[in-house]
Amino acid sequence: MTELRTIIKKPIFPIDLVKYSGASGDFNEIHTVPAIAEEKGFADVIVRGMFVMGWAAAAIEEWFPERQLASFNVRFQAVTHPGTVLVITGTMVAENSGEILIKDQQDSTKLMGSFIVKNSSS
Amino acid sequence: MVFDYAPFLIEAGKIKEFAKALQLENPIYRDEETAKSAGYRGIPVPPTFMTVIDFWNDHNFYQLFADFLKLNPNHVLHGEQAYDYYKVMVAGDTISAQVRVKEQFHKKGKNFFLLETIYRNQGNEITAVGRATIIEIAEVD
Repeated sequence: MTELRTIIKKPIFPIDLVKYSGASGDFNEIHTVPAIAEEKGFADVIVRGMFVMGWAAAAIEEWFPERQLASFNVRFQAVTHPGTVLVITGTMVAENSGEILIKDQQDSTKLMGSFIVKNSSS
Repeated sequence: MVFDYAPFLIEAGKIKEFAKALQLENPIYRDEETAKSAGYRGIPVPPTFMTVIDFWNDHNFYQLFADFLKLNPNHVLHGEQAYDYYKVMVAGDTISAQVRVKEQFHKKGKNFFLLETIYRNQGNEITAVGRATIIEIAEVD
């Protein structure tokens, strides 16, 4: 078991979600229009799971810059709102496989996942 | 029953935009020379780029939901996502994606759909496989 370096992200801003909408093509307004999110019972717009997974993948790339992913699995645990600071931690459980956890600063888990990286030679 | 997304030409500008939206600082996502010197055939896609193929397409996620799954895409939650990576996709590749409902079940008042998407390149090689758990929520409490 090897702990990976903890990564603390910048707070997520609403504009980040607007940019991600345009880039990904996911135009569900629950992610960008506060009135729509409120109508659905949320306090604010919600960050897409795929945005958080994108940051998780970026963290793995930061931990292993020379190695590509072979597989990556995540479970989305709770919704995330703008203003949240995400803290990403990881542990290697074997030579090529690790676990990743994303929490907010109040210790609420947003994402948990596992990954396998390819050998650097391949 | 399978659903085919429209073939999707991966453009360098789309990769750059997606990488920028995720604040990815690795220059391989925007500079071909850097990507090639890192051993790639061209500018590679970030690991979650398949979502762009699903959404930013002429025949896409919205038709998948409305016509194939008969679900409102605004009434679902994304529970889990997994990807297996077989061959790196780079700018210039054309990717054809095909979705199957692997399993569908009802649990605790919610409908679950396990979707498997196979991504193939212009040479018909499998580049990646995605597995998503989609949860239908009738109403958000």
